[in-house]
Amino acid sequence: MAGQERRIDDTILIREAQHGNRGAFEELVRHYDQAVLRLALHLTGTEQDAQDVYQDAFLKAYKNIGSFRFECSFYTWIYRIVTNLCLDHLRKKTVRKEDAPVVKDGNGGEYDLLDQVPDGRAGANPERDLMRRQLGARISGALEKLTPRERMVFELKHYHGMKLRTVGEILHTTEETAKNTLFRATQKLRGALADMR
Amino acid sequence: MKCEWVLENITLHVYGELADDARHELEQHVARCADCAAELKAAQEFHDLLSEERAAEPTPNLVAAARMKLQEALETAEQGGFWRRLAFDPANWLRQVSFSPALASAILILGFAGGVGTSYRVFVHQPPISATGAPPAPAPVEASITGIQSITQQPGTNQIDIKYNTLSTLETQGSLNDQRIQQLLLFAARNNYNSGVRMDSVDLLTQKPNVSQVRDALIYALRYDTNPGVRLKALDGLGGFVKDDVRVRDVVLEALVNDANPGVRTEALRLIEPAKADGSVRGVLMTLAAKDQSQYIKSQARTMLAQLPEID
Repeated sequence: MAGQERRIDDTILIREAQHGNRGAFEELVRHYDQAVLRLALHLTGTEQDAQDVYQDAFLKAYKNIGSFRFECSFYTWIYRIVTNLCLDHLRKKTVRKEDAPVVKDGNGGEYDLLDQVPDGRAGANPERDLMRRQLGARISGALEKLTPRERMVFELKHYHGMKLRTVGEILHTTEETAKNTLFRATQKLRGALADMR
Repeated sequence: MKCEWVLENITLHVYGELADDARHELEQHVARCADCAAELKAAQEFHDLLSEERAAEPTPNLVAAARMKLQEALETAEQGGFWRRLAFDPANWLRQVSFSPALASAILILGFAGGVGTSYRVFVHQPPISATGAPPAPAPVEASITGIQSITQQPGTNQIDIKYNTLSTLETQGSLNDQRIQQLLLFAARNNYNSGVRMDSVDLLTQKPNVSQVRDALIYALRYDTNPGVRLKALDGLGGFVKDDVRVRDVVLEALVNDANPGVRTEALRLIEPAKADGSVRGVLMTLAAKDQSQYIKSQARTMLAQLPEID
């Protein structure tokens, strides 16, 4: 029932926004922006890039809201915009690796600057913390080896808990293709992280 | 069932994406196949391992910063919206006039000619002058109107007297069919601080709901007017269009769901009745029937839903 209520609410806000009511659009943004920011943050890896994706996505939605015809939910529509922007970002990132916050130490070995940021949480156990950080770094590294599309399907399924049918709709593909992509992504990740099990 | 099929579908099983029958078959198979059972255990453990590293939630600061930046960008973003096209921008208008002497002259001449031709009576802090000896009234220019003082309909006639302020108070007369009178009524409906005047103007406008601008003003009043009486008047004016005009249906639904005044909500519920078979109306009725705080609205919504044919 909550979902249905949200859809009614969205429909009213979309129609208002289509008539130029910016307040209604901003309200609509608030319904989705945290999820959008979370997706962008995890996929781009930096707050700055996540903010850029967020801004581009909602500006694009604002400019094109007039052409929204209710053929899909606003949820699917906004995720389509965001995933396209994130896919572009991932493709560029694959080509341009110099953005990675990796530096060389005195012996020529590489380390990730983010790994050096201390965890200031109260009561943090340093040993457990180190293991958690190592695990995170390994998973991030393995995720980066996936193709942008595999990464996207895995992200939407594993971290955002979406149904593969919805993932297919968002990525303009079939549920079957989304299933195959998830299978491939998981196999690759298992291969890359085999020694951690 | 072959082990190959099971191995291909274990990932989907771990993610809860298998259909019920396929899930049942897979579970039956792993119960008697040690290799597949080991693979399922490994897949589940790997899933758990990945789940230890959750996607970071954006911090409240990041959310706030992103929203603020977006708001700034929206200020300058172009969207060919309806209200934007209708909105009167005095600064822009003056800028255009100042850069277009020919346009300014044309407007002046037209305004003068229009004033000579008009039959309005205009008073500038003076008692009314009879129609025969009346000086020509200038057309009411929205930019110069600072408020509407009063609206009176002469009993038994279709003449309406409107007293409004510009730099000084003016008065004009005309029938409801007169566009200038309509303009003043529209202005009063949207802008006046005096709710009595808004009520009078909306009341008169409800006689002309077929005029597009009038309907927009009624929608605006129903949505934004702070006075429930004005909203009720607007609602009554819009009632006949619930079935055919989607915008009207939406605003009436909005009033039904969100209006703070129970009277407005009850009236909205009554007016939405002819469109109850519409999907959006049905959805709202279902929500109201399930959990509206007002017992009356809840029971009425249930009654209306009960009269509808079932949808699969």
